[in-house]
Amino acid sequence: MIAPIVKIGNVVARWVSLVGALALLLFRIVIAWGTLPTAGRRVVRRVLKDQIWFTAFQAIPLIAILSAILSFLVISQAVQELGRLGATELIGILIVIAIVRELGPLLTALVVAGRSGTAMASELATNRAMGEIKALEGMGIDPLHYLILPRFVGAIVSVFVLIIVFDLVAVTSGFVAASSNGMSPERYFEIVLGALSFQDSWLTVAKGITFGTVIGLVPSYYGLATKGVSTDVPIASSRAVVGSILAIFLLSVVFVAVTL
Amino acid sequence: MSEPPLLFSEVRVGPNHHPLFNFEVPANRCVSVVGDEKSGLDKLGEIALGLVAPASGRALVYGEDLSAMSNTDALAFRRRLGYLPADDGLMQNLTLGANIALPLQFGSNYSESAIQSRTGIIMSALRIGDSAARRPAEVSEVVRRRAATARALAFDPELVILERPFDGITNRAALELLQIVRGGETSQGSRRTVLIITHHVPRDLSSAVDVSYRVIEGELRLET
Repeated sequence: MIAPIVKIGNVVARWVSLVGALALLLFRIVIAWGTLPTAGRRVVRRVLKDQIWFTAFQAIPLIAILSAILSFLVISQAVQELGRLGATELIGILIVIAIVRELGPLLTALVVAGRSGTAMASELATNRAMGEIKALEGMGIDPLHYLILPRFVGAIVSVFVLIIVFDLVAVTSGFVAASSNGMSPERYFEIVLGALSFQDSWLTVAKGITFGTVIGLVPSYYGLATKGVSTDVPIASSRAVVGSILAIFLLSVVFVAVTL
Repeated sequence: MSEPPLLFSEVRVGPNHHPLFNFEVPANRCVSVVGDEKSGLDKLGEIALGLVAPASGRALVYGEDLSAMSNTDALAFRRRLGYLPADDGLMQNLTLGANIALPLQFGSNYSESAIQSRTGIIMSALRIGDSAARRPAEVSEVVRRRAATARALAFDPELVILERPFDGITNRAALELLQIVRGGETSQGSRRTVLIITHHVPRDLSSAVDVSYRVIEGELRLET
């Protein structure tokens, strides 16, 4: 009789514990920012540059292709269908709300979580399994400074940059789709720019920072939480990507609820 | 009387069946502690560095208990020491040269050219200059061990803790490695203080070790 309640209680306790552990890690990363030795800054800057290169710049072609295809498909069909109803000006709202505000940040975050979150978690789990984290601590280097901080900041910067790339390519691709369906460039940009609001700008910034934080935090947590055996590496990667995707979707819902 | 560089006072690594570690490492001496895996001595290095807490007792490095320090202070203190972990702990995504330069880049205010110069000198001393651009997975066990030793000596520390330093290398290579770690000349009193924690000390190295302890039947005994 009590067994199901105990099971539910255990699940809830596990989730609360996980959220607490993530919050603690986030707090420690913020503190680590303040305690970074002056001499270590040049190393952290170098790792950060590498991280942004791998996470943001190498992902630009993939993000651009996804954005271009998605925007072209949506806008070319919308122009035709809305044209029949005499409501082509609604494509501005469609581009801004559906693509720029919602799908852009969501898809970008999912791509980064799948592509770089797994890499981050498996790399950190390998660091643990190979005794590298213990060696760093033994040399007087805080793993939070050397391994986590640059990855965390790199994830935030990368997601933000890639969301902007996604939006720019989506608007450009939408223009191509609209033009090929007979809409003039002036009309297209008038509609799209008219539909953009200040809220869209700050939402892009807020989502970039929030989703970047999730992608910097969740894989770092699962990567570090391993027990130091090589069989934990794929488990950490899998948990990191599942946890990140779940968190990104939940936070998307929160954003919609807050801004409605 | 000044504090010994390293003192284990009534240290018990784990449950009660583990031996009681009660010994010191005097300045400029090389001390070895030998025992099997069950003895728990594998944790002595981590306890000395404050990375793990002992079940009881305490380890003092130059009179300081690192496990009682704040994380920032303990990290800064560890930069004064040399540490060779059992599994070498080289960063797999860095070249050997970058691995050796890393502690200097993180813990010193030397210019990058000075760091590269110092790294080159240490690598030459350990005869791994040719492998500077290679990653740990691309070189042999001996070269990895030499690189990890070079990294432990990057700051020219007075105290060096070596965990299983001779695993996977020949007796000759082990002797050479120990001589480089110790450095200097006895008459000048400039030799480094060294603690070797291992399961086995090759016979050829016995003369290079000043004091040797061995865990026998759950008890730490001084070997004569």
